[in-house]
Amino acid sequence: MERKPSAVLIVALILWTFGVAGTVILPLFDQEINSATASGELRNYPEDSAEARGREIYIQNGCQTCHTQFVRALPADTNQNLGPVTKGGDYKYDLPHLLGSNRTGPDLMWVGLKYNEDWQRQHLIDPQSTSPGTIMPSFDYLSNQELDDLVAYLMSLKPTEERLEEYKKEREEAKSMDHN
Amino acid sequence: MFTDEKWSSSKNWFIAAVFWIIIGMTMGLLTATKQIWPELLNNRWTTYGHVRSAHVMLVIYAWLSMAYVGSMFYMIPKLAKTKVYSEKLGNFALVFYNVVILEGFFALLFGQTEVIEYGEFPLWVDVQLLVAIGLVAYNLFKTVGRRQEKMLYVSLWYFLGSLLWLPLTWIVGNFPAQWIPSGVQQGLMGWFLGHNAIGLWMTTVGVGQIYYLLPKLTGRPLYSHQLSMIGFWAIATFYVWNGPHHLMNGPIPGWISKAGVIPSIVLLIPVWAVLANFWGTMKGSWSQTRTSVPLRFTVAGTIFYLFACLQGPLQALPSVSSVIKFTHWTVGHAHMGPFGAFSFTSFAAIYYILPKIVGREMFSKRAMEAHFWFSTVGFLVFAFSLWIAGVVQGFAWIEGVPFLQTVLMMEPYVQGRAIGGTMMYVAQFFLAWNMYKTIKLAKLEKKQQAQQQAASA
Repeated sequence: MERKPSAVLIVALILWTFGVAGTVILPLFDQEINSATASGELRNYPEDSAEARGREIYIQNGCQTCHTQFVRALPADTNQNLGPVTKGGDYKYDLPHLLGSNRTGPDLMWVGLKYNEDWQRQHLIDPQSTSPGTIMPSFDYLSNQELDDLVAYLMSLKPTEERLEEYKKEREEAKSMDHN
Repeated sequence: MFTDEKWSSSKNWFIAAVFWIIIGMTMGLLTATKQIWPELLNNRWTTYGHVRSAHVMLVIYAWLSMAYVGSMFYMIPKLAKTKVYSEKLGNFALVFYNVVILEGFFALLFGQTEVIEYGEFPLWVDVQLLVAIGLVAYNLFKTVGRRQEKMLYVSLWYFLGSLLWLPLTWIVGNFPAQWIPSGVQQGLMGWFLGHNAIGLWMTTVGVGQIYYLLPKLTGRPLYSHQLSMIGFWAIATFYVWNGPHHLMNGPIPGWISKAGVIPSIVLLIPVWAVLANFWGTMKGSWSQTRTSVPLRFTVAGTIFYLFACLQGPLQALPSVSSVIKFTHWTVGHAHMGPFGAFSFTSFAAIYYILPKIVGREMFSKRAMEAHFWFSTVGFLVFAFSLWIAGVVQGFAWIEGVPFLQTVLMMEPYVQGRAIGGTMMYVAQFFLAWNMYKTIKLAKLEKKQQAQQQAASA
């Protein structure tokens, strides 16, 4: 092989193909990530709805560079009160995915549970007024229509009632365990 | 229109690369500064999200990739004992590649993004970039095909592999999202690109550069050919499986997590093999780092490579990941390979190759020294700020400190990062100025020589 570039290339290609098969092709057959949960169905926005347009604005303005949509079953997330731990099926209709990789700002997976529309709007226009000390830039350059759509999207980010009940019960159980 | 002058491709790719490191790092510094003064240059085009994306894409695909191609246009023909297959095509690909990068840069500033990290350019840019990379790969494969030297030195293995893997990985990662199941599946494909742009392009070309530079700069043969083979095949086997660890502890089934995490930890094998080989080659030559700036850049690069590769597998442990993931630590780690390890080896490559192809020493040794020290000290300040910040932030989240309070806690570290970053940024002007002077003087000297010859004839 020390004399044959083609042999190096062929083996390199085969090894690469194994990696693709293991981490990209095989998951296609896993139902856990490829069938939607009830909460995932809520994110299946009709085309050209306010939520769908708002999601586009979220992406265009790079919100995903600072905010994740990714709740883990770990103290770092549960102690931050982020809401139910997410499952693969919650993201079924996310295109492109907005899982994110950095929390310069808090996680937004279920942010629709936490504030009302007025707060969201005010926070986008003047972040300092709602969250003193924040390093979020102001999005006051967005038009009223754009702000409406973006707020509609943010408010839509919440789990189904059932999932929420389940989550609350789990939290209470965990708390009573702590007290014992 | 496009010159076929000997070594012109290598030289021109280097010049473009250094132009882009200035632009790319300007975006980086702006990103860091915006975390201190959020309203700085905040508008529809240069809002934080746009600037950060532009920074990442430019330093990886403009600066580092162009510097890599410049190196390969010199190293590959040298190792193959032949000429570049087509200097004209090399120069054409350069112009094309730069137009594509410019398109991508403006697309990001206008808010067009694919979201995929390390693959943020929109699809219409991706397709063109693939063609540009294809032209480079074709040219260099053809060069290897015409080789006079039968033995393939290990750097050639790395370069050949990288030139094959980058376009393929680019295709998988940028596959039109509408054609695949969305959600987590698309996330896995995105992270396949995200991780392998680092693993099968940045790492492999960078390591190939070091294998070329160390023996040349020290005048000693490679410590072990055997070890270099083990390193190469271990990287080829394990690195490509690393994507899923980015979704670890998250919404992926356990088996995918294991398929991603175990190979990430096994990566300690190639790292050990590669570094033992580097430092074995250095034996008896360490004192040369005092006088040779390119050698010092290379060695510092290998040390940062070690740092990066100790962090990598460590972070792939679910318990460690559960503390530092999503924090500033990740940003610190993400700069270790691309800047600490591989920009350093690319600086060394420029300082080694440029004098050889323009026929003149680098203009200023002191500027090289300044470039080294500003880059190194700046980077250490930058990286340590972020690592400490990440650990503090991670444990604060675990303790349940309210999020906004953790942001306020980060202030001094974010300032430290910006100060280190400013030093890293300033350093690159020494490089650009030195290169400009060297090339200009080389041209002048050639002209004078020609005149003298004409006069004496």
